[in-house]
Amino acid sequence: MSIDTIQEYVPIILKGFWITVRLFLWSLIFSTVAGFILALMRISSVAILRWISGLIGWLFRGIPLLLILFYAFFALPEISRSLMFDPFWAAVVGLSIWTAAYQSEAIRSGIIAVEKGQFEASEALGMTKRHYMRRIVIPQSIRITVPPFIGNAINTMKQTSLAAVITVPEMTLLARQIISEDFKVAEPLLALAFIYLVLTTLLLMVQLGLERIFRLKV
Amino acid sequence: MGSWDWSIIQRCWPLMRDAAWVSINLFAWSLVLATGLGFVLALMRMSPIRYLRWLSALYVLIFRGLPALVILFFAYFWVGRSLNLSPFQSGVVGLSVAAGAYKAEIIRAGLLAVGRGQYEASEALGLSRAHLMRRIIIPQAVRVMIPNYMSNATLLLKSTSLASVIGITELTGRARQLANSTYKPIEILTAAGVIYLALTTVLTVSQEILERRFRLKT
Repeated sequence: MSIDTIQEYVPIILKGFWITVRLFLWSLIFSTVAGFILALMRISSVAILRWISGLIGWLFRGIPLLLILFYAFFALPEISRSLMFDPFWAAVVGLSIWTAAYQSEAIRSGIIAVEKGQFEASEALGMTKRHYMRRIVIPQSIRITVPPFIGNAINTMKQTSLAAVITVPEMTLLARQIISEDFKVAEPLLALAFIYLVLTTLLLMVQLGLERIFRLKV
Repeated sequence: MGSWDWSIIQRCWPLMRDAAWVSINLFAWSLVLATGLGFVLALMRMSPIRYLRWLSALYVLIFRGLPALVILFFAYFWVGRSLNLSPFQSGVVGLSVAAGAYKAEIIRAGLLAVGRGQYEASEALGLSRAHLMRRIIIPQAVRVMIPNYMSNATLLLKSTSLASVIGITELTGRARQLANSTYKPIEILTAAGVIYLALTTVLTVSQEILERRFRLKT
């Protein structure tokens, strides 16, 4: 094993870097929207909406992501032809719905952390419910939501590696191919680990930065 | 979409049940080893010796920054092959090493939650350090740890699905094989999902029971 060979493998594995990043970003966008909707359903006054959201959360937090990806890739096309995705989009669908189940909890905990008294105060001031959500609740809840939200996002970034199993040519799959073609093990894996560590460290720094921005100014 | 085929689940049930046992075995071994590892890392992190603290912090930083799948590849292709481990053993090594980093943080948080005053008080009473840990700190720390420890255990149970990627026929791997060979992915993958949901629900329920048992009696 030599440092040189590790360096040699970094650019080869980095060919999958953009696929990893695109998997991550699409899943982040979809899961944030879906997580927000699930969180609103969870605190809605309509029982059936609360119930559906709770059920979805329980389902997708109780099943391994890998099984969800298999479902998206192998089972959805059997349900309907229109649900036949290429591996990349199947992975995005699986990652998004899985992440959404966790993000909804992060978002919900932020919303319910805003004191009830503020709702009464806004009512007394004649605010509409939407106005109250947009101007009072969301600005305050973002501060509480940021740490678990980014924590979930970092997890999703790491879990994009599972897309390799349904043949998405992201970084982990490329490293896996080097292992079987070059009969080298340590070097490609160390190169891969190095890239992931850089990525997770960058995201941790984003988290620290955001926490500083949203900190209460007193 | 064809009609739902119960008979296929019935026929595949014995194979799936055996595979579920492999998952449970993987989970149990990894949980025990990860807890031991996490405990050692937590003690190192709180040690007066600087190098031990650094080593433990570095370990946690690295293994929390890497995808579990990549850690499993290390365990299987590198450690497993050089030490001649079976896939099952490599799987346990990989899962324990990955989960140990999270357990370390959870255990450390629990140990830190016990007030400093109690350390000083027991010193004043002339308790030895081992006695202090066993009789004063750990019983109180356990109560604080339970919620995080158990939800992390649920994550570990779901991570055992990754072992299918290194050739262990646990539940997810078996489900994938059967889905391919029977051409009935919906039924098979759903059945596997139901088994996982049952297992994770058992863990959630036992978390509640443990929390109740360890609650402060006031």
